Amino acid sequence: MKKSNLIYLTVGIVLGGLLVFLIMNGSGTVNIDEPIVAKSVKNSELKNQKEIVKISPEVIKEFGVVVAEAKPGKIELHLDLTGEVVPNPYKIAHIIPRFGGIVKKIYKKIGDNVKAGEVIATIESNESLVEYKVKSSIKGTILELHMTPGELIGDRIHAVKIADLNSVWAELNIYQKDLLKINIGEKVLVSSPGSNYKFEGRIFYVSPTVNEITRTSIARVNLGNVRGFWKPGLFITGRVQIKEIKVPVAVPKTAIATMDEQPVVFVQTDKGFIPQPVKTGYTNDKYVQIISGLKAGQKYVAENGFVIKSEIEKSTFADED
Amino acid sequence: MKKIIQFVLQNRFLMVVLGILILGAGYLSYKKLPIDAFPDVSPVVVQVFTVSEGYSPEEIEKYVTFPVEAAMSGLPKLKLVRSTSNFGLSIVNLYFEDNTDIYFARQIVGERLKEASEQIPEGFGTPQMGPITSGMGLIMYYYLDDSTGKYSLTELRSIQDWLIRYPLQTVPGVTEVLGIGGWVKQYQTVLDPNALIRYNLSVNEVLDRIRSNNLNVGAQYIVKNGEQFTIRSVGLTSKIDDIKNIVVKAVDGIPIYLNQVAEIKVGGAVRYGTATRNGTGEVVVGQIVKLFGANSSQVIRDIENKLDQINEMLPEGVTIHAYYEQKTLVEAAVKTVTNALEEAIFLVILILIIFLGAFRPSLVVAISIPFSVLFAIIGMKFLGISANLMSFGGLAIAIGMMVDGSVVIVENVDRMLHSADTSESRIQIVLRATVEVLRPIIFAVLIIIVVFVPLFTLEGVAGKTFRPLAYTISLAMAGSLLFAVFLAPVLAYFFMRRPKKAKLKDGEHQIWILRIMLKIYNPIVTYFVKKRYAAVVLATLLLILGGLIYPRLGSEFTPRLMEGTIVVRLTLAPSISLDEGTRITDIVEKRLMQIPEIKEVVSRIGRGEVGSDAEPINVVESIVQLIPSSEWTSAKTQVGLEDVIREKLSDVPGIAVNITQPIQLRVDELLSGVRAQIAIKLFGDDLDILKKKSDEIMRVIEQVPGAADVQVNQIGGAPQLLIKVNRHKIARYGINIEDVQDVIKTAIGGSEAGQFFEGVKRFDIFVRFAKQFRSTPDQIKNVLVKAPNGILVPLSQLASVREIVGPRQITREYSQRFITIQTNVVGTDVGTFVKKGQQAIKNKVNLPAGYYVEWGGQFKLQQAANSRLAVVMPITLFIIFILLFSNFNSFKNALLIFLNVPMALIGGIVALWLAGLNLSVPASVGFIALFGIALLNGIVLVTYFNQLIKEGYSIDEASIQGASMRLRPVLMTAFAAALGMIPLLFSTGIGSEVQKPLATVVVGGLFTSTILTLLVLPALYKWFAIKPQESEL
Repeated sequence: MKKSNLIYLTVGIVLGGLLVFLIMNGSGTVNIDEPIVAKSVKNSELKNQKEIVKISPEVIKEFGVVVAEAKPGKIELHLDLTGEVVPNPYKIAHIIPRFGGIVKKIYKKIGDNVKAGEVIATIESNESLVEYKVKSSIKGTILELHMTPGELIGDRIHAVKIADLNSVWAELNIYQKDLLKINIGEKVLVSSPGSNYKFEGRIFYVSPTVNEITRTSIARVNLGNVRGFWKPGLFITGRVQIKEIKVPVAVPKTAIATMDEQPVVFVQTDKGFIPQPVKTGYTNDKYVQIISGLKAGQKYVAENGFVIKSEIEKSTFADED
Repeated sequence: MKKIIQFVLQNRFLMVVLGILILGAGYLSYKKLPIDAFPDVSPVVVQVFTVSEGYSPEEIEKYVTFPVEAAMSGLPKLKLVRSTSNFGLSIVNLYFEDNTDIYFARQIVGERLKEASEQIPEGFGTPQMGPITSGMGLIMYYYLDDSTGKYSLTELRSIQDWLIRYPLQTVPGVTEVLGIGGWVKQYQTVLDPNALIRYNLSVNEVLDRIRSNNLNVGAQYIVKNGEQFTIRSVGLTSKIDDIKNIVVKAVDGIPIYLNQVAEIKVGGAVRYGTATRNGTGEVVVGQIVKLFGANSSQVIRDIENKLDQINEMLPEGVTIHAYYEQKTLVEAAVKTVTNALEEAIFLVILILIIFLGAFRPSLVVAISIPFSVLFAIIGMKFLGISANLMSFGGLAIAIGMMVDGSVVIVENVDRMLHSADTSESRIQIVLRATVEVLRPIIFAVLIIIVVFVPLFTLEGVAGKTFRPLAYTISLAMAGSLLFAVFLAPVLAYFFMRRPKKAKLKDGEHQIWILRIMLKIYNPIVTYFVKKRYAAVVLATLLLILGGLIYPRLGSEFTPRLMEGTIVVRLTLAPSISLDEGTRITDIVEKRLMQIPEIKEVVSRIGRGEVGSDAEPINVVESIVQLIPSSEWTSAKTQVGLEDVIREKLSDVPGIAVNITQPIQLRVDELLSGVRAQIAIKLFGDDLDILKKKSDEIMRVIEQVPGAADVQVNQIGGAPQLLIKVNRHKIARYGINIEDVQDVIKTAIGGSEAGQFFEGVKRFDIFVRFAKQFRSTPDQIKNVLVKAPNGILVPLSQLASVREIVGPRQITREYSQRFITIQTNVVGTDVGTFVKKGQQAIKNKVNLPAGYYVEWGGQFKLQQAANSRLAVVMPITLFIIFILLFSNFNSFKNALLIFLNVPMALIGGIVALWLAGLNLSVPASVGFIALFGIALLNGIVLVTYFNQLIKEGYSIDEASIQGASMRLRPVLMTAFAAALGMIPLLFSTGIGSEVQKPLATVVVGGLFTSTILTLLVLPALYKWFAIKPQESEL
């Protein structure tokens, strides 16, 4: 190989190197995964003023964000209890034949209504062999009748059970956790699942003990039962109105959002919506009392506040994909 | 050499027959060639899905994802295991090395799946492999259009699930049909908890009762009078009353029926997603998934036929309405390339006729085009390359180059026929003319093929995209070489005639255009040969120009392939409910419909049936169908429209908008890579520590100079209602934790209690509390649990119920949890940034034991590709140099020809700059192709110079004479190659954006390199010339 050839070779390699360099810079980029979204500067802006969200009135309307004014309100607290209808024990008569004997005649059937003093049956006494009348001691309905004509009946048998069902009791079970909340005198709305009958009464009795097996206590409500709907044994639920509280600020439950595991309400200000941490008080299934954080007269988001929350949290999920 | 051509010419009929055979085989292969839109760039992934209804990400990870991952460890060719544990769903993606056979991968995964299933506790579902498909697999989306308006969403979904899905799945090449939207029909047993108390029943008792009253059995057979009777007992519920009348309890002979404790009704199953359309409410949607490797166009045709059949079966008024079809894209892409091909062929033939001035020689050359193309197609068939934008694009690019070999031969034959003695026979002339140029042609074509070698070594997405192109170009060039050697001389002999006119002198042409050109060219080349320094100055000036412009070029990844369909991907707050998500989507759709270019929007919210798609509820994908681009007014291009959409949605609060395209989206998902340049992955066990430390890392990285868009991926943000059973409290009642949890599961979440059959359709019987007893935390606290002694205890007396924020999903790689901190780098070089960043983390962030950081992202891929090319490119250049050297047997000649390379570069760079394009992978491919063509011209010229020197001309004479003589072939090949690219350059069809930079580079580069070849090369030849004796072989 000649010297000159060596030189040419060197020049060739240098040129080749130049070429490699140029190509590499061209083709060193090998991906088509380039995000299409221009990285928004908006995100970094959001971070700086993270807590304020500005949304135009049209958009507020479009997205169904409902703004309301904070107002005082009433919060009715209640508790749902289950139970059953039982006869009023004060209005039950257990009739026992005065003397043992043979049942001669029966005038009434189970379910018949009787007046006080009305004859139910006649029995021929074993002792006097004289027929005497078995009469109802109260006005009511015959629930039980343990007699058939010709039957020899003893003098200690519960022959007839009569109850006045115009007034029955609702017996409601109170679970341990609710024991302290239920008090005598509280209003109860009794209803029977599957029907439209409702009755409003008041608790007149809360049992002073707790059942050892079920660990429940009992509350009783007098039920007027002129129409006879509240049949003993009927399964019922009672909504106990524990309290009705007037609070300076009450908001619908839909207004409360959770941010950083804290309850907040979105308050509308001139600058925009601000998530305002609040302290909540009494709560029922519709309304919440705001103890602090929101004053009466302030504008807040009552519905679809999730849109605002999303906008605030946007910077945390916006570019993850 | 001479012997080969002699043989060829002697056996010319054999050659013609062989040629026709190849053409025929090529045509048959073409008919069978699978057609796709783009090359499939998806990695080889096997997805393992496990649906565990109702479980939180933590549980899924612990009980499902981990066993699956563990079972898969150590599989051969397994590259990476990445998993996502979501609400109710575990996805394990198993990435295999490229080129692994998908069926092999699935087989070995399937074997291990059995192992995994055994480790997964009962009730957590069974792991299943996803469909055998790829990123290109979703070939059709449709929704059910009910023009009568009388079908409910539940009914429509049943139509989808039972009348449409099964017939479609029988179409060969369809691997799955996935439904989403509407409600999956269920027979719901809605329990009244109060009724349960009333009759002293527990939820589980009801569940057992339903299960034991819904069976058919077989009882072998009896023989009666020689006949055999099969015995079966029918006890399946067949109407809704059968369910209602199931006896759940009997007290003193009084039965208590199921409908006394529950309402039995037809309802919709719990769902994790839905679909909406045009802002007008929900629709039922189906997605057809194509089998991996199936011929898209064939499958689409079969599906369309099937759909016609199905449409006739559907109830009156219900029709299947496709809202995304890959067909449109395939057709558009095919149209783009076939248009380009046709136009290129036309232009090239035009050039031939102009320069050869006669029909016959043009015909010989023109035949080389179909021959080379069909030869390439035979090769594609064997290599399993589908017809697509890139592979056919390669052919379109190669059109101009395919003719080069034949052009040179035919031109020489033509010239000699004009100048040769009448005494010489035609066959002799053809032989002489062919042999004279054969050797340089073979080397030149070989060099073009070798030039493409680096493309074969590219890996990943770029490799998969451009390898088909490299294959088809190489194949077509090989075909053209075969043609040039074996057919061109034969056909030249058959077709070409001696001119009738008297012969012309050398260097004179009968074609007027060449006469004019020569008249202009001759003085210029003489000037440059005489004043070589002028040539050097010209070359240097050009070089400087290129050097000045080069730094101005931006660089980008491969340009996006436009698919003609836009996907608007919305990310909503991670805690969002499906109802709220649907509400927001509805509003967004209404806004989109205000854009006049948008014809239809169908959105998918969350996920439907599991298979290829498994998005959480907070992800919405809206497929936007556009009207034909000729009617657009808001914007001219798809990118412009995307900006319009972005603008339209910019003030929608609480959503992040990302605009992509159907295939792009799927591929991105499968690649699942981080889109930022740099991804720092923090691995570790505790989610809280991961979160804390990743925030710290983010703050540290933000301080590193050059950091931009630094972000930590959020993994949290999903609220949970955590019910924690208190062991002391349950002890007092003698209740097991399981008893409590069973109630929680069935009462709140619901449980399946068998199936209800309607003919072949089957629907779940689902038991759950009525809505008003399980919808709020307070109601859940009051759910009663039955103790062994029969008493009922409210849940809140046994467990604490708390609202917390839990992880939304848990991502893992190599069985390790991780969080990604991602960043882009601006204004500094990535390598330095990484070094500084690593140092900063080391100094400032204190990671607990077991926690470590890994750096990845696109810069790694870039580095990998760079280092690969850094090895391959020099080797390739060296091989080319060797080829040149062995052709000329001279370093100097080889080097002179190599000078073409930088000259070609300049033109390419300037053209890119003028066109406003960036340096990208296709541009690099363009440069590669350019070198091949540029070298070819140099070879032709220098060979002839050498020959003239041998014949005794002086160097100057040889330079001027040679250049003039070879003006025609050089210009012809250059024009042919450049004009072949012109259609690609001006095409605006689907997919043209990838080929545009390529064509730009080649056209621009050819311009400068042709100037060099024609002006500078003859001038410089003196310094590089061989001495006459050197050329003796």
